[in-house]
Amino acid sequence: MTARITVAHLYPEVMNTYGDRGNIAAIVRRCAWRGIEAEVCELRIGDPMPARPADLIVIGNGGESGQALIAADLAEVKGQAIVDAVAAGSAALAVGGGFELFGKFCRPATGADLPGIGLFDSWTIRRGADLKSEVRTIAQARADRAIGDLVVRWGSELLVGFENHGGRTHLGSSARPLGAVVVGHGNNGDGQEGAQAGNAIGTYLRGPCLPRNPALADFLIRAAVCLRHGDVDLLPLPDDLEKAAHEVAVNRVLAAQAERRTLAARIRLGRRQARRQPEADVPAADAG
Amino acid sequence: MSGISATGGFRSARSAPAQFGDAARRMLAVSAGKAARTTVRQMGRGNGTAAPGKVALRIYPGMLASLASEIPHGAVLVTGTNGKGTTCRMLAEVMKAGGLLPVLNHEGSNQPTGLATTLLAQAGVRGHLAADHRTIGLFEVDEGSLPEILPEIGTPAALVVTNILRDQLDRYLEIDYLTSRWERALADLPAATTLVLNADDPRVACLGGDLDNPRIYYGIDDPAHSRGSGDPTSDSPRCPRCSGALGYDCVYYAHLGHWTCLDCGLTRPEPAVSASSVGLLGPTAARIELTMPAARSVVDVPLPGIYNAYNVVAAAAAAQACGLPAGALASISQVTSGFFRMEKLSMRGRDVYLTLAKNPNGYTEVLRALLGDGQPKHMLLALNDRAGNQQPDVSWIWDIDFESLTGLTSGVVVSGNRAADLALRLKYAGWTVSDGALADGAPGLAIEPDCIAAFKLALSRTPADQPLWVVSTYLVLWQMREWLRRNGYVGALWDR
Repeated sequence: MTARITVAHLYPEVMNTYGDRGNIAAIVRRCAWRGIEAEVCELRIGDPMPARPADLIVIGNGGESGQALIAADLAEVKGQAIVDAVAAGSAALAVGGGFELFGKFCRPATGADLPGIGLFDSWTIRRGADLKSEVRTIAQARADRAIGDLVVRWGSELLVGFENHGGRTHLGSSARPLGAVVVGHGNNGDGQEGAQAGNAIGTYLRGPCLPRNPALADFLIRAAVCLRHGDVDLLPLPDDLEKAAHEVAVNRVLAAQAERRTLAARIRLGRRQARRQPEADVPAADAG
Repeated sequence: MSGISATGGFRSARSAPAQFGDAARRMLAVSAGKAARTTVRQMGRGNGTAAPGKVALRIYPGMLASLASEIPHGAVLVTGTNGKGTTCRMLAEVMKAGGLLPVLNHEGSNQPTGLATTLLAQAGVRGHLAADHRTIGLFEVDEGSLPEILPEIGTPAALVVTNILRDQLDRYLEIDYLTSRWERALADLPAATTLVLNADDPRVACLGGDLDNPRIYYGIDDPAHSRGSGDPTSDSPRCPRCSGALGYDCVYYAHLGHWTCLDCGLTRPEPAVSASSVGLLGPTAARIELTMPAARSVVDVPLPGIYNAYNVVAAAAAAQACGLPAGALASISQVTSGFFRMEKLSMRGRDVYLTLAKNPNGYTEVLRALLGDGQPKHMLLALNDRAGNQQPDVSWIWDIDFESLTGLTSGVVVSGNRAADLALRLKYAGWTVSDGALADGAPGLAIEPDCIAAFKLALSRTPADQPLWVVSTYLVLWQMREWLRRNGYVGALWDR
């Protein structure tokens, strides 16, 4: 018997800002390498959730406009079915703007709150970067956002990714974070990152997160396969390239952190020799 | 008297009351800028395409505006995500054939400091432009800097917009944010400036919708190159008027094509200048037939791919906006590849082509252009981050359409400080893994993060009679080129 799972991919065009399709590729390939058939069903605005609940539900990141576009449809057409499916054991991955809408509500800098589906006991307050506000420079808009590498301790694993968000997400008393921030900003700077409810995971980790974090990918795949086929273990995969990319990311982040600490220490000591050599005038990198 | 903002940018001083000392400051700014240029080069610290302007603008923030106002034929600005540099170089050929003397900024030095550096080089000791009466400014403008640069240029003859694609989201933020900044900047556009807009890009076609400015639309009308009704690399823009879903009769790449809003009916404007026939002639050439209201022209360019067809038709439309004769268009053929734009080098008798690709659509279109003839090629693909102002976020490589290009390369070498990420991407695209055989570095793919070692390895894997194609983000290309220069294979970048 060939194992198979169904994957519901929500709003693939709208919620795909940062290579989110890589998460779908990771799920499909890692299933295929194990002889598991992953059938991906793309659901757009107006489409109801499938009658037989999907084993794995994926929503990617979208910009502010993407969130505004889908929020009502997500809450009214799909929300209850998603909450019910996860309660019955379905796995889910919600990233960035999708994660925010899987909480209770999302409050933009101006305008009405966007409804969430309440899968997670969380809510998001967006700071600044409102597209309709007065023209500001990119530097000003960036200052309101959490942008940079994000490393999270998830059980015995380190998860690596990149974050770029203006929303600050707060967890309610019944919510469980995905993990603890090692480097980066996470939900709102309080040291917590993401949310986990049953087999559903919400996170600000992009990059996309599954290819470089195979443990997270396999957690979702295993949950989906077990839901369909009973308790099974997944065949291990070599994951050499996955581990290499993961290691590069971790080392990069830790090296940058060490450099910042060293620099800060030197500045505190006021040592003159700490002055760094001026950077070479590398030609601008943004030629069109 | 501070025109310098805390972030290192500048404000125009034009609105400040004229005061004694302006002329002196201007002279000082020009001299200091020129001195900075010499110093930077002599110290071997790069080509000095931005530092001189930075120095000069700090001394006299109004320098860019005052020098720009002295250009005899004014200026044409070209902005957008991809193609602005190449479009400029094509348009420069038409201008020269039409009797003008275009002054271009150094490719990539497209922020205020870069433009100021370019004009500094044309200025005399008294701080005034010492330019020939045929001079016209032709400036590639960084899309993020357009709102700062536009007010400095007076009344541009034309503002050319190529496309708006996803690029360095960690730097430019969301596309919606970029376009809303543009719209606000365009509100003050002088009425005489012609908007030259890509009809096939819905976001570009609808720019400045409330303005009465003259506008010239350009586009491609060759259904032979349609990718159908969608491209996996599209970021699926919504209708610029009503946010409805767009439908396409044909897509040339990404979201560029013949679009109509399925909700409000807004549709692609009919282009006045169109590429009515595009011949893609392998990895180094294309033939484009241009159709205009009163003329036709055939242009052969030594550049490949549908994206360069867009550059040709953009340059032709801009030429029309400048009133240049249609007969001058054929001179687009004279364009040479820019640095890192299919730049051809010779290395021990072998041809090496260096090509920059820094965003998902650029990378995809370069690969499609190179591999479109179905002949397997020897390639070095590289990816790096952060260093040299590169993006720390490499997630965009997952939006490159590697999937449709499997099997068209042989002996790929993957390099750069994020080589592991790129190799992983290729693995999930099916480039390195076949069923059951998960051995990484399977035949055909080698990973070598050090770009010089990777370059040597790739050369050794390339048969003597075949070219090596290098596609990479900026820093790897720059380091490779530096190594080639040190070893005497090429001249310095700024000698071009």
